[in-house]
Amino acid sequence: MASFIKRWIPFILFAALPGIVVLLAYLVPAPALLYFRDRLVDGAVIVAAFAFLLGLFNLLRVHGGQVLRRRQGWFYSLVLVAAMLAFWIPPAFRDLPWGMAVQETLGLLDRMLFEHIISPLGASLAALVVFTLILAAFRLLRTRRSAGSAVFLLVVAVVLLGGAPLIGLEWLTGLRDWIVHVFGMAGMRGLLLGVALGTVITALRVFIASERPYSEL
Amino acid sequence: MELGAVFLLLVGGLALIVPSVLTTLAKMRGKETSPPTVRPILAFQDMPVETGNAAERGGAVHIALGNGSLYGEDMTLSLAGLQVLESLVDGAVAYRASPIVTVGDPTLLPLAQDVLRRAYERSNVAELFDPRMVRFVASSPVAYAAGAGHLVSAEQITANMMVGSFGAEVSLIADAGLRRALPQLAAAAAPGAIGALYPATDHLAMGEELYAAGAQITEEPRYLHGLTAQDILRMVVIVAIAGSAVMALLGG
Repeated sequence: MASFIKRWIPFILFAALPGIVVLLAYLVPAPALLYFRDRLVDGAVIVAAFAFLLGLFNLLRVHGGQVLRRRQGWFYSLVLVAAMLAFWIPPAFRDLPWGMAVQETLGLLDRMLFEHIISPLGASLAALVVFTLILAAFRLLRTRRSAGSAVFLLVVAVVLLGGAPLIGLEWLTGLRDWIVHVFGMAGMRGLLLGVALGTVITALRVFIASERPYSEL
Repeated sequence: MELGAVFLLLVGGLALIVPSVLTTLAKMRGKETSPPTVRPILAFQDMPVETGNAAERGGAVHIALGNGSLYGEDMTLSLAGLQVLESLVDGAVAYRASPIVTVGDPTLLPLAQDVLRRAYERSNVAELFDPRMVRFVASSPVAYAAGAGHLVSAEQITANMMVGSFGAEVSLIADAGLRRALPQLAAAAAPGAIGALYPATDHLAMGEELYAAGAQITEEPRYLHGLTAQDILRMVVIVAIAGSAVMALLGG
């Protein structure tokens, strides 16, 4: 009996029941079901917010440890911890009753940190992705010489050049559109359908406790 | 009830019934029934092998679970990633090759830590478990990929595995692995990530193959029958698409 309670009650209370209520509310939008669905989703958001705190402590523990032990790359860890604390201060203290001037200054600082540091850094990293992709494509020529690789590189070249406004290569635009809208779209739909089916099966396995990532089976 | 809801109920019903019927039949027939066979997927087939090789080389395996969360639409991709982690971690612990797991969403952090902790407990070496083996890197996809890529470059990593929810930014992690000539294995569902990973590794599981990880690595009946149900559902969808196309053609 004790093992039954330990095994099934948490599953029924925290996994199956909320899952069934949320799913049913989407299928049968009755007011009572919608009310409970919204409360459960609100609860999930609160739990997710606490998970962010866990993430913060994990970062501090991992990188704080690197700094204290002076392990390789400890300086980067120090910069990360310092930046994390610096970025945390303005939003955390902005809404306290400091007075209008301090609140405005903290708000301005918060906005500036985002606009002048986080956004440009994010954009730079995103730009770096393009270079790593092109580098990977070049490496492919060296490491894997196969028909598949040749087709891959040819398609990449056509799609890239077809999207660029190059004089004399306008005909590539039509070819690019054909590749993207016929082959690309068909492949993408096939992928999405397969993933959707896998999603349904995995979600249902969680529902019926066949898949329990949170405990031993 | 809308038509979509009826279809979802039908699909859900089939998905629930098929594995149960198959499991019951298998139990009734006993040893005579052979389990469903799975098409070999190179990425998952070689994961346990690479884990062993990593241990022999005296390094750690890096497992990137991506930016998926446990509450968004990519939840099942994260669960598939956890399935891979669960399937590999016993072997890694047995070889004393502690894996380093990186996550891009903090909701995945306690679950991944729990999977590792249980593996160490199963091997009776609970004292060796260190929660810092699972690391939350960043919640922004590009920052996560850059951070995980740095970890691959800087730490003593001997195999790089990427399984979960990724976009094209996964190329930053793969690039770090390529620079160190590490064996790389990956499984992704998003077209952007597949395009980015294809040139980086020939051990790539694409799209729905991601959900076959548990079945391929562990060969447990619950996973194998789930795959059979998935195959039947695929046939239902194909028939529905072909049928609706023929009806549209005749109607037009």
